Amino acid sequence: MEYLSSDKIAIIDLASSEITEEELDEDLVKERIGGAGITTTLYERFKDEDPIVLGSGLLTGTLVPASALGIMTAKSPLTGKVCHAPLTLYAGMELKYSGFDYIVFKGASEKPVYLWIHDGIADINDADEVWGKDVWESTDYMREVIGDNMIQVLTIGKAGESGSDIAQVCINYWASGDRWGFGNLLGQKKLKLIAIRGMGLLEIADPEGFVNTCRELLSEVKAGSFAGKKGIAEIPVAMGEEDIKDWIAPLIHRHSSCFNTPFAANTFVYLDEDPALLKEPDIEEPGFLLTDIYGLLGFKKLGSSASDSCRILRDCAKYGIDAVAVAELSQKSGRTDPEEIKKSFPGLKGPLMSSGKGVFSPCTPPKPIFTDFSLPSDGSGDAQWWERRQAVAYIFGIDPLFALMSPELSEEKLLELSNIGTELNLTSEILDSVIGEITK
Amino acid sequence: MGVKIDGLKCTACMACELACGYHRDDAFALLSSCIMPYRGRKKKDYFGILLKEEESLVVTRPEGVEIMRIGMVEEGDQENEKAKADSSAKPMLLREPCDLCSDVEDGPFCIRFCPFEAISIE
Amino acid sequence: MNFYEQYLAINKKLACGERVLYSQREGNHSHESGNNNKILHYPRIGIYTGTGASHSWLWFVEIFERVCFYDLSFLDEDDIKNGKMNEIDVLAMSGGDTFSIAKALGARGSEKIQSFIREGGLYIGSCAGAYLPLNSSKTYLNLFNYVNAKITNLTRTLPVAKTNSEKFCTPYGCSFIFHPVREAVRLTPIEVIPFKGVGSLLAPLYGGPPMVASDQTEVLAYYSDFTDKTIFLVDESLARDTLLGKAAVVRKKMGEGHIYLFGPHFEHPHFPLANKLLVDVIYWDSRKISLPNGYVPRDHMVVQGADLKRLIRIIKREISNSRIVAVGLETMPVNWLIGKKVYEPAKIREFLEAIWTRIKCLENANQIIISAGKDDLLTQSVLEITSLLRDIKKEIDNEMAGIESANRLFKLLNKTSKLFLEIYFRSNMVYFSSPRVYSEVMN
Repeated sequence: MEYLSSDKIAIIDLASSEITEEELDEDLVKERIGGAGITTTLYERFKDEDPIVLGSGLLTGTLVPASALGIMTAKSPLTGKVCHAPLTLYAGMELKYSGFDYIVFKGASEKPVYLWIHDGIADINDADEVWGKDVWESTDYMREVIGDNMIQVLTIGKAGESGSDIAQVCINYWASGDRWGFGNLLGQKKLKLIAIRGMGLLEIADPEGFVNTCRELLSEVKAGSFAGKKGIAEIPVAMGEEDIKDWIAPLIHRHSSCFNTPFAANTFVYLDEDPALLKEPDIEEPGFLLTDIYGLLGFKKLGSSASDSCRILRDCAKYGIDAVAVAELSQKSGRTDPEEIKKSFPGLKGPLMSSGKGVFSPCTPPKPIFTDFSLPSDGSGDAQWWERRQAVAYIFGIDPLFALMSPELSEEKLLELSNIGTELNLTSEILDSVIGEITK
Repeated sequence: MGVKIDGLKCTACMACELACGYHRDDAFALLSSCIMPYRGRKKKDYFGILLKEEESLVVTRPEGVEIMRIGMVEEGDQENEKAKADSSAKPMLLREPCDLCSDVEDGPFCIRFCPFEAISIE
Repeated sequence: MNFYEQYLAINKKLACGERVLYSQREGNHSHESGNNNKILHYPRIGIYTGTGASHSWLWFVEIFERVCFYDLSFLDEDDIKNGKMNEIDVLAMSGGDTFSIAKALGARGSEKIQSFIREGGLYIGSCAGAYLPLNSSKTYLNLFNYVNAKITNLTRTLPVAKTNSEKFCTPYGCSFIFHPVREAVRLTPIEVIPFKGVGSLLAPLYGGPPMVASDQTEVLAYYSDFTDKTIFLVDESLARDTLLGKAAVVRKKMGEGHIYLFGPHFEHPHFPLANKLLVDVIYWDSRKISLPNGYVPRDHMVVQGADLKRLIRIIKREISNSRIVAVGLETMPVNWLIGKKVYEPAKIREFLEAIWTRIKCLENANQIIISAGKDDLLTQSVLEITSLLRDIKKEIDNEMAGIESANRLFKLLNKTSKLFLEIYFRSNMVYFSSPRVYSEVMN
């Protein structure tokens, strides 16, 4: 696969520590496009070995607006289905430039290991020093060992190590969109974390054509319905939770985006420092980055203050546990005190109402945001539309939240860009077929 | 004339870095870019932008802009004791200074691709 | 076809023993012989990488590789003093600190270089390499008085700096050497082979000398104008007086050999016409020694199969690890003062990329040629680079200067890139000069 690709798949056998590499066959891309289309195929190929597949979308890491998404595909311990979790922030982009388009982990290691993926090299290393550390400590440790603060770390915390069903694979210090308990899977494989960094280069079939089309698309996207809005709180407001803005406002420091994403959906709150402080704070851990809409809402609904909610979210991220599940289970058990909630982490288990029914993580709202995509106002078309929209995002590598607010990123446009970038003549029929395969 | 960055509008999305890298390499890559979000202190939510110019490094922080001369080092106890680069020093070719995309009709790539209009020409 | 590709094709023929005339190097089929034509020979080129050399020697490597001059040696001051000049036809001396170079080479080094030239060798000096052999009374420099030409950027009175940012003067006894401009300048060549028929060209100036030649020194090109990329470090009128109309390139015959002094860097990778002239100089005036085809030097061994894979994997892994740290350091506003020179983090990657961009070629090779013991040395070096870089990162995070570590690092980078490039070019040379490969290529 010549364009928009590193042309490499790594297959890592954690039991034997053997790593094999394959080329990414262009015919596979013509048939399955990319992202969840191919991670699903790879999953099926190795399904008897309980694989976890990491991948990036066909357009991930390019100048296509919101091309931030990486994907983790595996069988969810919670639902028993093969599901996909989004890897956003910079993780998807870094994976794309790491020298591998897709990475398959199969089998299980006898002792704790971690993976260091860099420039087309996959190293399995002993994780004795980092096993037992929480998520934040693990990320700090890896960044110190490798000597770079820009490596992206997909890591489990104590929840994953102890086999919790609601263990989450976190991205660096923050909650991810993993609502499937994939943290438990990594823990079972004794895979503590995957550190990723890449200095790769993606060739483009028609560079000028591709970039000019991206530029035009960006102009259209920027004028969209989300213009003028920023921050995580805008999403629940759009869903009708209007009081959340005032509730969280006193803590807000700044907003930030996932890679190349025109809406700043992540909000950093300062909990132990004045949010108005602009210069670098002296405190090492002054607050938390809110990335999990439903986690935030969940604790708000418990009646917690904004500050308490964010502290609990921070504790969840450190422990590597799904905050939405924690909020739901805390509500069921009547726990509202932050310390009590934190103490309950070990041994916390379902059943959960909030688990998704489909294959795409329910970390995003189940309907369009800020705009209606011309759907019926009674919401009758939402579920089907949402599933298809997420499928498109997970195939092409578009931030799944942004995909819900930008009709300008149409299927036709994404196919057009894919064809300009790769010369593969992908069609809407192929896309329909891939969507059908991954959503069945 | 030069690139001006609003440190508070910036969200560290890296579109500018990729766009500049594309301009340098005619492919998507990040190593040649002369504009880079500094994102090494995310736990503190402290991020800014570095821009390499011909003789200086413009560091746009949330609290303001700092311009550092390239090839200058503080030396000694006196404030005015600075060691300066020899002007016969050979340039680094891997990351060339910003030339405002002078060979491109539509102007700097970073400005065109910033989704938040945090970059402008001064 | 650009000139690199043209000359690559020529060099493939030369490496396999085919006869090519100077006039045929651009596709001209003339067989005219005589003073205006010469038989080309595939040169053995030594590049100085020792004490005092800046990273611009990597530019020589880049240019020579583009035209497939693969018979490269990387010589430090000890190599020169200990007789390695016998194994080369061309000595390329790039930019850096002239005083340090002179001091490191000393009298013995100068003797060796002189003998080399007198016996037919070609000396190419660029920037600091051009200052070195110019007549001087200063200690150490006075050991290298090969060329009687004066420099016009020497002054007793400190000129007024146009910008006060860079140190544009270097003390020189009771006087100063100052640098009037930086970046691309325009040169006008003289109609003399190898500069004949060129018109005008651009080349970048980073401190190299403007010269006034004596009777025994031939001017090959003059500084004729500035460009819109030229940066003035002094008042423009002073820059004009100092540079324009002065010699940018001179040549002197010494015994059987020649000395070429270049003020600007003709080896800068972004100036193709200047690169072409540099290669033409080598074609025209390098020593005429026949080269056996496809040989493996006596003290070298062939590494292949699993051993090769393992070695390349280690190098690739550690250079990747190092690059990752180095790129991170580029986003930290930090510099180190080592000796009198300021080093930026970006300089680290100049050396690492020189290795990284070439690893793929060795990954795909069936075998490499390596001097005995150098594989272990290279392995240790790349591991040490990663370790040192990570230590420097920690020191910076702890707000320490890291100067000692940086000093060790830059020395190690120079040594390691030299080691790697020796292997790379030796291996390429053996493959390149194989008659079987030549036959496949030509068919």
